[in-house]
Amino acid sequence: MATEIQAPAEEVTSPPDVRGPTAPLPAGILAAGIISIAAVLVGLIAVQAVYAISGDDVTPSCRENLVRGVEDELIEGALGVCNIVEGLRSGTQTALLIAGGLAGILAVVGGFGRYKTMPTKRMREQCISGAVLGLQGVVIALVIHLFRSSDQVFIFSRNFLNFVFLKGSFGAFLRGAKNTLVLAFGGELGGIVVGLLLALLVLSNRRVVRAPARTYINFFRGTPLIWQLTFFYFLLRLGFGIDINGFTTALLVFGLNTGAYSAEVFRAGIQSIERGQMEAARSLGMSYLQAMRFAIVPQAIRRVIPPLMNEFVILIKDTALIAVLGLTLDEYDILVTARDGFSLTGNGTFFIAAAAGYLIITLPLIRIVTNVEHRLRSGLTGIVGGL
Amino acid sequence: MTVNGELVRLENIHKWFGDNHVLRGIDLSVSLGSVVVVIGPSGSGKSTLLRTINLLEEPTLGKVIFEGKEITDIRTNVNEVRTHIGIVFQAFNLFPHMTALGNITIALRKVLGQKEKAAEELARAELDHVGLAEKADEYPSSLSGGQQQRVAIARALAMRPKLMLFDEVTSALDPELVKEVLDTMRGLADEGMTMVVVTHEMGFAREVGTRLLFTDGGKIMEDGKPRDVFDNPTDPRCVAFLSHVL
Repeated sequence: MATEIQAPAEEVTSPPDVRGPTAPLPAGILAAGIISIAAVLVGLIAVQAVYAISGDDVTPSCRENLVRGVEDELIEGALGVCNIVEGLRSGTQTALLIAGGLAGILAVVGGFGRYKTMPTKRMREQCISGAVLGLQGVVIALVIHLFRSSDQVFIFSRNFLNFVFLKGSFGAFLRGAKNTLVLAFGGELGGIVVGLLLALLVLSNRRVVRAPARTYINFFRGTPLIWQLTFFYFLLRLGFGIDINGFTTALLVFGLNTGAYSAEVFRAGIQSIERGQMEAARSLGMSYLQAMRFAIVPQAIRRVIPPLMNEFVILIKDTALIAVLGLTLDEYDILVTARDGFSLTGNGTFFIAAAAGYLIITLPLIRIVTNVEHRLRSGLTGIVGGL
Repeated sequence: MTVNGELVRLENIHKWFGDNHVLRGIDLSVSLGSVVVVIGPSGSGKSTLLRTINLLEEPTLGKVIFEGKEITDIRTNVNEVRTHIGIVFQAFNLFPHMTALGNITIALRKVLGQKEKAAEELARAELDHVGLAEKADEYPSSLSGGQQQRVAIARALAMRPKLMLFDEVTSALDPELVKEVLDTMRGLADEGMTMVVVTHEMGFAREVGTRLLFTDGGKIMEDGKPRDVFDNPTDPRCVAFLSHVL
């Protein structure tokens, strides 16, 4: 066996695959795991899609269940809700759940039972992967089954999956997304300026320079953001008699608050630059500030991009706290838009839509942060030379 | 400005790092055009001694006099003084986000206030001086250690310093890259540059140095012509040290 695995003599572009061959049993276990999770997840989506497209009737039994405990006989969006529930309770769905569950059990038993006896790495990995996928399939199948067999499924679907209610509110959500982004970008921009300034003060050798910056940072990191929002709102309006609206106050507070957090990020970034860089700059006759500006900060900026972006994602979500301040319709962010829809209709589907809205914004950002971090970790040369 | 050919003088320099008494009364006068080589065991204070000359380390006690002016005086413009004293470090300390050219021009432009074009011309001349004219647009990460160190030397030289300090500049280099850096320094000495060199390169000390200091325990224990110190050391610790390294 050992003689078969030879390192190629020259022109190596990637390491050789040494995981070894597979066999029918482990390959079958992996297949069973994949079938299990696919039957459960893809099956659910497919059944729902079919019922959503072809279901054009509200069956009497569904209507009966749907209006239970509700004054109004005519449920808005009854058709859509019934399609969801009937899809969930259909025979096809049952068959898919049973198939997925059985395949999953098979994969779990076979995979976890046999992986230790597998002769090659590939076979062992296939056993383990198949078993884990199978376990996921079984668990999800059980959850779907419990959900669909309870009477609560009507109430839940009526209140949270009733997408008819969202009709016509796309524009409102788009405006909400715009406002959320304005608040987040504005806050982050202000935060970067404030943070960089604070970081430079905090890094001073002189205690009298550090102390006020440290106090600022501790204050904004030590009090709840929601307290800061309300306090500054009333402080500026009542305390100082300034005619400032909730939106502008929030923009200001987000900037001040983010400044405290990014100050720590910048401080850590600046301190991570080797001492020799500062010494080299100073030995060329640069002042401390010149050395910071031309030698240290440009390098630190590259290192703080991932943590700053993480903070930006956090800020995007924290902008929802603006809900505690009074806003005009034009200033509604995503969450307030959803809350407004909810209070007008009493239907919770708006909150599902709000979650989707936040995720559409944050998921790509999270992805980018991961990529940038990966690039930074795989050697500084590319970043330093390329950016 | 120079008094009796003396460029820099240290008077009774003491340095404490916390409770660690690193320099214990250094007196040293460096005359114009001399190449003073400092050797000694690690921890003997030779790097600290070098770094007090351009005040990268501020002496706890004592005076540094450069061109007849006390630069340890608190009213001295240290930044201005440092433009006259170049230093090259063991770890190169090039700015990784700038090209070789950018590394050299940044201080010319921002500290000396030269126009971009003039700075670039001077930088290219200095790169040519250290034999790296064709590497002007390379980033440090794509240069070898020896090339990086020569860029660092060019960066210091471009300021037109009156004194050059070298702090173990070949210690971080692979053996095959040491020679190119030493040759550059040798050329500089031949041109008459005043240099203070902390090094472990005994061959360089013997051939290029005009004066050799042996430091130990924060004091200068030997001071003389390199040949005399190498051939007839008097201090017992210097004898022991030389027997280990030669």
